[in-house]
Amino acid sequence: MNIYAMLQDKLQAIREEAVAAFKAATSSKDLYDQKVKYLGKKGSFSELMKEMGKLSKDERPKFGQLVNEVKNTLEDLFKELTDALKEKELNASLEDERIDMSLPGNRMRLGKKHPINMVIDELVDIFSRIGFSVRLGPLIERDRYNFEALNIPADHPARDMQDTFYIDEQHVLRTQTSPIQIHSLENESLPLRVLGPGAVFRSDYDVSHLPMFHQIEGILVDKEVSMADLKGILAYFAKEFFGPNVKIRLRPSFFPFTEPSAEVDCSCAVCDAKGCRMCGHTGWIEVAGCGLVHPNVFKEAGLDAEKWQGLAFGMGIERLAVVKYGVRDIRLFNENDMDFLGQF
Amino acid sequence: MQISLKWINDYVNIENYFSKPQELADLLTNTGLEVEEVSDLGKRYASIVIGQILKLDKHPDADRLTVCQVETGSGSVQQIVCGAKNHKQGDKVMVALPGAVLPGDFAIKQSVIRGVESSGMLCSEKELGLSEESSGIMILPEDAPVGEKFSLYKGLDDILFELKVTPNRADCLSHFGLARELSNLLSLDLRYPENELQVEAGLSTKECISLEVKDAENCPRYAGRFIEGVKVAPSPAWLRTRVEAIGLNSINNVVDVTNYVMMEMGQPLHAFDQREIKGNSILVDKAQAGEKFTSLDGTEYTLDGSELVIRDQERPVALAGVVGGKNSGVQDDTTNLFIECAYFKPESVRKTSRKLGIETDSAYRFSRGVDPSGISFVLDRCCHLIQKLAGGKLYGDIHDFYPKGLEAKSFLVSSDYISQRLGMPVDDESFEKALAQLKLKPVKEGQSYRVTAPLYRVDIERKEDIVEEYARLHSYDAIPEKMPELALEPTPHEKDYELQRSLREFLVGQNFTEALNYNFENKLKASSFLGDLDKLKAYGITANPEPVQILNPLNEDFSVMRTSLLPGLMKNVEHNFRYGRHKGQLFEIGYAFGRDSKFGQDPRLAFAAWGETLDLWTKKEKAPLVLQLKESIESLLKELRAKSWSWKQEADAPDFLHPGRSAALFFEGKIIGFVGELHPRMKEALKTKEPIVFAELQLDALLRGQPKAFRVGGVSRMQMVERDLAFVCDGAVRSDSIIDLIKKSSGKLLKEVYVYDQFEGGSLKEGQKSLTFRMYFQDENETLEEKQLSALQEKIIQTVSSKLGVNVR
Repeated sequence: MNIYAMLQDKLQAIREEAVAAFKAATSSKDLYDQKVKYLGKKGSFSELMKEMGKLSKDERPKFGQLVNEVKNTLEDLFKELTDALKEKELNASLEDERIDMSLPGNRMRLGKKHPINMVIDELVDIFSRIGFSVRLGPLIERDRYNFEALNIPADHPARDMQDTFYIDEQHVLRTQTSPIQIHSLENESLPLRVLGPGAVFRSDYDVSHLPMFHQIEGILVDKEVSMADLKGILAYFAKEFFGPNVKIRLRPSFFPFTEPSAEVDCSCAVCDAKGCRMCGHTGWIEVAGCGLVHPNVFKEAGLDAEKWQGLAFGMGIERLAVVKYGVRDIRLFNENDMDFLGQF
Repeated sequence: MQISLKWINDYVNIENYFSKPQELADLLTNTGLEVEEVSDLGKRYASIVIGQILKLDKHPDADRLTVCQVETGSGSVQQIVCGAKNHKQGDKVMVALPGAVLPGDFAIKQSVIRGVESSGMLCSEKELGLSEESSGIMILPEDAPVGEKFSLYKGLDDILFELKVTPNRADCLSHFGLARELSNLLSLDLRYPENELQVEAGLSTKECISLEVKDAENCPRYAGRFIEGVKVAPSPAWLRTRVEAIGLNSINNVVDVTNYVMMEMGQPLHAFDQREIKGNSILVDKAQAGEKFTSLDGTEYTLDGSELVIRDQERPVALAGVVGGKNSGVQDDTTNLFIECAYFKPESVRKTSRKLGIETDSAYRFSRGVDPSGISFVLDRCCHLIQKLAGGKLYGDIHDFYPKGLEAKSFLVSSDYISQRLGMPVDDESFEKALAQLKLKPVKEGQSYRVTAPLYRVDIERKEDIVEEYARLHSYDAIPEKMPELALEPTPHEKDYELQRSLREFLVGQNFTEALNYNFENKLKASSFLGDLDKLKAYGITANPEPVQILNPLNEDFSVMRTSLLPGLMKNVEHNFRYGRHKGQLFEIGYAFGRDSKFGQDPRLAFAAWGETLDLWTKKEKAPLVLQLKESIESLLKELRAKSWSWKQEADAPDFLHPGRSAALFFEGKIIGFVGELHPRMKEALKTKEPIVFAELQLDALLRGQPKAFRVGGVSRMQMVERDLAFVCDGAVRSDSIIDLIKKSSGKLLKEVYVYDQFEGGSLKEGQKSLTFRMYFQDENETLEEKQLSALQEKIIQTVSSKLGVNVR
């Protein structure tokens, strides 16, 4: 047997062995190890190539070509098998990583703004669009700002309308947000449009009264201001806050700091004014008090009541929240129960 | 105020509204007198009839019950089981038949009581809503007609309005007053009540009783008449029914008449027993300081001299306009009366009534203002009724002190003005017509009208009042809706509102829920929670040990203004635990009070968080809750673009905090608050192992200089390199001290550094720990080389090791 034939047989044997080993590999890593074993620098082919010196000059290129062909076949096979194994391995690991997608991630409760501030912020946004800006005021207020300057002198029966918490002879916990308008009238340039949201206090505590609750007060002062302006503003508010179909109506009433004065009813958005529990089957819900600024209020603030006119309105925030969100018990507003607050 | 429509009908014909009372109620409501409730008594007392007990047996199965056979008219007999004891065979009783609904929505049904059928109920006065208390069922006089409806028998076939009269409409605090209002609104005739008198021309009130008004300022008018020889007796049925219908108790004919006339005309009156007017002299003056006065109901008051009183020669006999004295009221054997009818200044009556805490129908009306011009009419009306019901000789003359007649107010107003203020066209013709209809006597003067309000309309003083009068007469619905033009330069919102709103919105985004608590608190509970206030102050929160007091608190829980937001939040945490909300995080933005001055407001931001520390199903431990809260506060500080801050762990934490798990926040040069875990002792009552953590911060310090303007820099595209370094150190070494040194020694190249791991035990010595820090390095302009990094790392290790004596692992 000549050497060429012998090497050829050897090549054939390596080839068969390699093909078998490649096919037997069960993982891409195993397969790669086999590739190194046969095709690597110290692999079987390298060993075989060392024997090529034994061949004649004529036979060497021919055999070299033969070796390359075999190597290329094996490389192709390796690639083909690797792809298949990798695919299989990926599939296996995907299956391995499968989780129950109904399990929770990091459990968290959504943060919520308190409904009172939610309503206040919404009202501020609504009235900001028509030029009102927010002013705040002190909660412990001087008697003068809470009463006298609002045309409620001492020993006037209008003081009975509100049960007041007193801090001393001269100071009260403000019973209404109306003092905010007095501070503005005294300190700001006219005309003005001012909105005063905040906490107020009255000595009253039962199922429909909280000793601390919230109001928002609006005042507009200009050269000429009419009841029609007041109705226009309130109708705009009602539509924005309760819905596009909600209408308002005014009923005559009395507040010491406005003349004329009115209570504001909105048509019930819950039942579309057909009558339901929320509106006491009347189709209307009382939501605000309003009126044209009383001349004594201008006088108290040092302004000429013949030169300036104004309109003012005030609303109870808890009341608005009850109507808009169906809160069943106003005491919920102060418990800060996570389940209650979480519903907003 | 309770209004009887039958009574109103005496003065203005409203009979056609009896079948549709709601229409009348709507009319009043829409013109400014809100009708809060309409009760049709005829309907309310339907199915309640007079019955007679024919036979009465013991209940076979219950000692306390009786079984009655009751005739209820036209031969019908009902078997009724009754629990009362005061009835006997033959008694006339009130029977509520099945289908009747008693006050309090108590429906009467056919029933079986301990095995015996019962078709109805024998009623007590209380059950019928006739009195507050009653013992036993109501036994009627023998002449009561069997089968007659209860409402008819009691004269209760009436319709009552519960009227909410606003403080300005004193003129509507009576039946006649309201009738007058209706006659104006509906343009109907008004009938005045009878007031003819039979006087004894030869006898003189003035000679019999002297009158002096010393304080004419507070008593502008005082009138009185003397009646001799009246017979005090129970009131006749019609009078009793009327006063009871509107919720008053019937006392006797004289007292009932004064009350009746007050409810009829709105003018309070008082009847004195002349025997008790010492020296037969009446003096209207201020009280003497320190003197005692006992009111009709027997309560004794000590007067301070500011009260206007009616006195005889020796003592006060009445608090003017507020209440009569026990010493001079009408008795069963009273024969001679002095009837007072006066106008007291509203402020004076109100002051006395408020100061002494005496609220009467009389004081209520005087303090709102009665009609000074109607005094003599009302006095005569009262005397007319007394004569009619109690007899007596009425003396010929009248005391009437009225030196300065009170003038009706008159002023100018034009239809143009009304038109401008209402925002709708108003012409002279309709304007004049409206004013005349409201009895405002319009007289044209140039372009305007001079208007004169009748004295009973105390609320009409100026042209603005006419705007309302015109509008309510024409309905507010007639006013159009118009958006006013914006003729001003808009101003920004007050900064505190903007800042607090952004803060709220940021925290809500961090999954905190906003709490709102009462701004007052229970002084004892709050101080026992907060503990030593000096320690709290060292942690940045100043709470005044003497909180701002409320002079007239509702109860102890609302007695002082809060000095910290935490007692309120603690209450919220307890509430949430009680109802099983075992995890949560709240924040509150609000004011504490009384820090520096009595009236100062101190804005605060406070947090409470509680609940599980393990991830649910992975069971991986989270960082301690207090550190999570600290992290959230740091997120806020970053949002506020704070440059630097640190947490100081002082030896003396506030008492309510865990001493080893709390820290004060050092921010811009001072301590402004703290974060900490609730001391285990404070949560014993909650029986929970879950941590509860709090924080409270001074909001003004936190928000000073906000919002901060900012500009952004470039972004590096160079490679970011990650490096970890572990140090073994003493357990007391704080991680931030190492981080500070890492930052200092690495300068601008360090992008981020944080604690990656903390480890104790294992191969480490007792009391030692290993802290691993992860660092990221990046250069703005070039890729960092290994050499550079190694040098940097070496520098860090050197600095940290030498400064803190720790070793790199």
